[in-house]
Amino acid sequence: MDAKDTMTLEIFRYHPETDSEPRFQPYEVPYNEDWVVLDAINWIKDHVDGSLTHRWSCRMGVCGSCGMMVNGEPKLTCAAFLKDYYPFGIKVEPLVNFAVERDLVVDMDGFMDKLQEVKPYIIRDDVNDTSEGEYRQSPAQLAQYKQYSMCINCMLCYAACPVAGHEDEFLGPAALALGHRYNKDSRDQGQAERLDVMLAGEAIWGCTFVGECTVVCPKHVDPAGAIQQAKAMAAQEFFKGFVMPKGTGA
Amino acid sequence: MSADGRGPATGGRAAGRSDEALWWALFSAGGVMAALFVPAFVIVTGFLLPAGDPAVAAERTAQFAAAVGWWPVKLALLGVLALSLVHCGHRIRHTMMDLGMRRYSGLLKVPCYGGALAGTIWAAMLLWVI
Ligand code: SF4
Ligand code: FES
Repeated sequence: MDAKDTMTLEIFRYHPETDSEPRFQPYEVPYNEDWVVLDAINWIKDHVDGSLTHRWSCRMGVCGSCGMMVNGEPKLTCAAFLKDYYPFGIKVEPLVNFAVERDLVVDMDGFMDKLQEVKPYIIRDDVNDTSEGEYRQSPAQLAQYKQYSMCINCMLCYAACPVAGHEDEFLGPAALALGHRYNKDSRDQGQAERLDVMLAGEAIWGCTFVGECTVVCPKHVDPAGAIQQAKAMAAQEFFKGFVMPKGTGA
Repeated sequence: MSADGRGPATGGRAAGRSDEALWWALFSAGGVMAALFVPAFVIVTGFLLPAGDPAVAAERTAQFAAAVGWWPVKLALLGVLALSLVHCGHRIRHTMMDLGMRRYSGLLKVPCYGGALAGTIWAAMLLWVI
């Protein structure tokens, strides 16, 4: 590698216990064609500044913990190659629409609450005895929800969504896609319960179909599509409610 | 949900399913109508009918007007117009909400869907007289 071959990373820094406000700090890192932004950040932490705080784990787009804003776009930093930005500088910030905990780490609590709100597990009225074996499902039934089950909770979609940024009642793309994933699962019987949560207030209706969630999703979950399908399901249920009011076996 | 995003699970959200499903269904049907028929109407009435020799165009337009005078066509037209207007009202309401009027989402229904209703009544009156 050419000794002069370097790149500049401008990194958002904020330690709430000592800093009165956030600042950007430039770091010179060796340029390596095979490196991703996460490699450069790890290099800085190991060689220049051990106080730099960020989250990561798998380094292969599976764990969903390395999401950051890279030049203003929500990205998995382990999948964003330096060579795609070279020779220009790279600005790294924590995911927008979340409160910053420290440097590049954001507060995930609100997101975790929202995931739990949609009851992301199979709900049964009649639980089979284990001796009866598993609940069987055909490949076609699996295909109904498989795509929506690929989410790695990276929160890039929340950083991309303008509604998630200004409407607290909105459950957000990943949580809604997850709720829809269980509503579409042939083994599940909890749709009504789940829809009570998803259709309250602005929980789903806050979505104005901007579609950026689907654009940034690294796992091709298509949360925007899931939300559209869930809205259509809600409309069907709404009209069914007139034909067969609750409690008549609907 | 509180400012730090740690509020209770259903914090801030009114309990029970919202009536938004109805408006969304009308909005969605109106979107299909507006996208499918409105451009076709514009092309037919704005460009194809008046094209060419004025005398031929006038005759063509008279034939078209006669077809529109048939009540099933009037009814279909009214349906297309009503749904397109609700679509428009819903989009305006949501744009106003995005622009910071979210608190008044209920109140905004009055001018937005009321406007669509007024437009529908007006269209019905026009269709009645032709
Ligand atoms: S839906 Fe996609 S972008 Fe959103 S959290 Fe899941 S994997 Fe990430
Ligand atoms: S480090 Fe696991 S997804 Fe990037």
